[in-house]
Amino acid sequence: MDEQAGPGVFFSNNHPAAGGAKGLGPLAEAAAAGDGVAAAGAARAQYSLPGILHFLQHEWARFEVERAQWEVERAELQAQIAFLQGERKGQENLKKDLVRRIKMLEYALKQERAKYHKLKYGTELNQGDMKPPSYDSDEGNETEVQPQQNSQLMWKQGRQLLRQYLQEVGYTDTILDVKSKRVRALLGFSSDVTDREDDKNQDSVINGTEAEVKETAMIGKSELTDSASVLENFKFLESAAADFSDEDEDDDIDGREKSIIDTSTIVRKKVLPDSSEDRDTKEALKEFDFLVTSEEGDNDSRSAGDGTDWEKEDQCLMPEAWNVDQGVITKLKEQYKKERKGKKGVKRPNRSKLQDMLANLRDVDELPSLQPSVGSPSRPSSSRLPEHEINRADEVEALTFPPSSGKSFIMGADEALESELGLGELAGLTVANEADSLTYDIANNKDALRKTWNPKFTLRSHFDGIRALAFHPTEPVLITASEDHTLKMWNLQKTAPAKKSTSLDVEPIYTFRAHKGPVLCVVMSSSGEQCYSGGADGLIQSWNTTNPNIDPYDSYDPSVLRGPLLGHTDAVWGLAYSAAHQRLLSCSADGTLRLWNTTEVAPALSVFNDNQELGVPASVDLVSSDPSHMVASFSKGYTSIFNMETQQRILTLESNLDSTANSSCQINRVISHPTLPISITAHEDRHIKFYDNNTGKLIHSMVAHLEAVTSLAVDPNGLYLMSGSHDCSIRLWNLESKTCIQEFTAHRKKFEESIHDVAFHPSKCYIASAGADALAKVFV
Amino acid sequence: MVMAEGTAVLRQNRPGTKAQYIQQNIRADCSNIDKILEPPEGQDEGVWKYEHLRQFCLELNGLAVKLQSECHSDTCTQMTATEQWIFLCAAHKTPKECPAIDYTRHTLDGAACLLNSNKYFPSRVSIKESSVAKLGSVCCRIYRIFSHAYFHHRQIFDEYENETFLCHRFTKFVMKYNLMSKDNLIVPILEEEVQNSVSGKVKHEGNHIEKTY
Repeated sequence: MDEQAGPGVFFSNNHPAAGGAKGLGPLAEAAAAGDGVAAAGAARAQYSLPGILHFLQHEWARFEVERAQWEVERAELQAQIAFLQGERKGQENLKKDLVRRIKMLEYALKQERAKYHKLKYGTELNQGDMKPPSYDSDEGNETEVQPQQNSQLMWKQGRQLLRQYLQEVGYTDTILDVKSKRVRALLGFSSDVTDREDDKNQDSVINGTEAEVKETAMIGKSELTDSASVLENFKFLESAAADFSDEDEDDDIDGREKSIIDTSTIVRKKVLPDSSEDRDTKEALKEFDFLVTSEEGDNDSRSAGDGTDWEKEDQCLMPEAWNVDQGVITKLKEQYKKERKGKKGVKRPNRSKLQDMLANLRDVDELPSLQPSVGSPSRPSSSRLPEHEINRADEVEALTFPPSSGKSFIMGADEALESELGLGELAGLTVANEADSLTYDIANNKDALRKTWNPKFTLRSHFDGIRALAFHPTEPVLITASEDHTLKMWNLQKTAPAKKSTSLDVEPIYTFRAHKGPVLCVVMSSSGEQCYSGGADGLIQSWNTTNPNIDPYDSYDPSVLRGPLLGHTDAVWGLAYSAAHQRLLSCSADGTLRLWNTTEVAPALSVFNDNQELGVPASVDLVSSDPSHMVASFSKGYTSIFNMETQQRILTLESNLDSTANSSCQINRVISHPTLPISITAHEDRHIKFYDNNTGKLIHSMVAHLEAVTSLAVDPNGLYLMSGSHDCSIRLWNLESKTCIQEFTAHRKKFEESIHDVAFHPSKCYIASAGADALAKVFV
Repeated sequence: MVMAEGTAVLRQNRPGTKAQYIQQNIRADCSNIDKILEPPEGQDEGVWKYEHLRQFCLELNGLAVKLQSECHSDTCTQMTATEQWIFLCAAHKTPKECPAIDYTRHTLDGAACLLNSNKYFPSRVSIKESSVAKLGSVCCRIYRIFSHAYFHHRQIFDEYENETFLCHRFTKFVMKYNLMSKDNLIVPILEEEVQNSVSGKVKHEGNHIEKTY
């Protein structure tokens, strides 16, 4: 304060009295006596020596301070410069890589066209350059013309490379997002545009944050560094795409890529002025259809490609992934439809439309939870595309090429802005970061539910095979029931580091001891406060589940055991909990099904005595669509639906009996679909059968495994079915298409048995399997 | 459950097959201790001991369940057998004087963790040399459950022993493979066994001979 007062004093000397008064004010408060007094005492027009010294000192101090500040600022700016330079370098590298990618795609395009032409016309299409582009050459060079040699092989190679690149793109989603975000921030790009996109797609996006970032990133642009070469390539691609015929699609790229190239054509159509949303939607959706139909021809080359390139990927994934394409496509279509309908409002011409398009595409990439109802593909509709292209040839051809993540570049002769945008997008894409894990890639390219499941935890602590497991409804807690007479509760968030393998070891937090024989089944109540276990000793033990955060070595609390539900005289094989009525349903080897009131430990409310005609019930479940019904399957091969209130059998589900065939094929498990009136049964003869609850008819039957199917689980959304079998494999099925999405091999055999139970977590993304090898595995 | 052939199982030295073999023999005749304990030819001794120990822990659950009803933390406030020793529970960071029922549960849980841990027993077909020593310490702790039950809950002990002959089998097992020092084997079954085997008499079921130790 003194320093500031100092100059003030002297400056004020040159000012009128008012300034002087101001100067005097602070001075009067100043602590420094001598200078202050001297300054105060000095006449306005006079300078005193101490005053001058004081002034100089102050000025010097001020200058020093300012110099220090300047130095700091300079350092900061230099740092920023370095940072920006680094960024720029990174962007340039990106751009280079993307250009390479573009070249590859062009090449693939040509291959496809050649193939198509050959197929369609039986002759070779003279395309000129068919040589795969050399990546070391200068970016600006076009590929040289070379005679087409061994196009099949080159085509395969091309596809493989393409696949690899696009895979890389998928790998680096978050990095892309981060980069483009930073770029945007650097440019100070306004975020108002992004908000619109966000709002539309927020709810339907499952990978919430990522998709959001993607959307914002999509609209962002970056500094456009030497775009000439890039634009040139874009133009080339544009002209190539102009003749692009849909059927030439590269079928061997996985569904992700298909959707990419598809959307490119869709976007072109988007720009048409006449679009009513439905028409666009329909056209776009029909684009997807051809993809499905045209994939048959590529089975042979697929495996070759798989082996070499997808070295990091689970080999069994690819074949499985193919099967689901139809389902995937239909789902994508549905989502796209929905999105299109959802979009309203004024849009800025062209770019905004495209942006919306891209936002939709992003969601299209992710799997929605919709039922497919799209009609069968129609070839003629897709051939409409070339016509449109021709019509639009003179207009701006906005070819969007969204990579798997849904980002796009927009190119156009006239719309430099779009191309800037696009390039910004491209520039924002990171080079394939091989360090990224495979799981990340797959996980983020598909819907969170539909991603590939990977083993995460191995639960080792039981001494004998695990017969059943149940997830807590909300917490990441699992209870396993084992033949070693115990149940163990596991908290999946308390893991112990394991030396080998990627999966983490978990130790149980509590052991429930009360059964005198193997524990065969376990269920949790809807609140997770209680659990019930049925054992070979004929007792159903009712427990108060402990807090998931207890210490495993706490004192024994006898109140954990609520008591046994007595009644059954033989092993209890199945339990089902009814949240609606707070009741428990059990089926036992003594032939009866019993209904219990769970609020108190008391004898059964009612008994269904069915051992006369139907055999021994092996499994029971509550019908989700009708809380007063239950479905039970019997060892003789029948499944029936009962009304629990009237204790009557309502109907027997039609079992697919041949007259001579083994009609007593044991049914191991029956479950009810959470939303649809469907019951699903797992059979000893390797089949899984679907029945309609209303009519009792067999909807579908499929051979699911190599050995008996032991267990079934439906995910909480009702989209997927998981089945476990004694052939040591767990399979994940898409319920609409009834195709297998993924298969894991897990658990070893003991006494020729392998997997006893599988389960989905009701609210979190976990699935678990119980094995006869005393291990439980959790997948995420 | 489908039971595989015993001999067929033996030929495949897959993990967990020893457990199957042992369980089959137990089911066949749980009093024929020698047969149960006798390893098949060419069987790795470490694995054999390990699998047996797993089986013992499994079967001890039954005893623990029985004890749960009678052994309360206010009646048996410490883990003792005779008055000489108080056993501290090793499942905690610092050994703790757990009540008997807690000791039993913690010991069984701790044994489960140890025997199943990837760190000490990563494979069920071969046991690391360094981990063999762990088997001995697990045996000591497990044995205390028997001794507490014998001295403090005799009725439960007898009931259980008559059903499963578990203590007999365990005692013989640790003697055969020298997993514990004989001084620790305080449940008087041992002496009886020694007498019987020396004199060649048939094994005597049950054990009502009081011996001070």
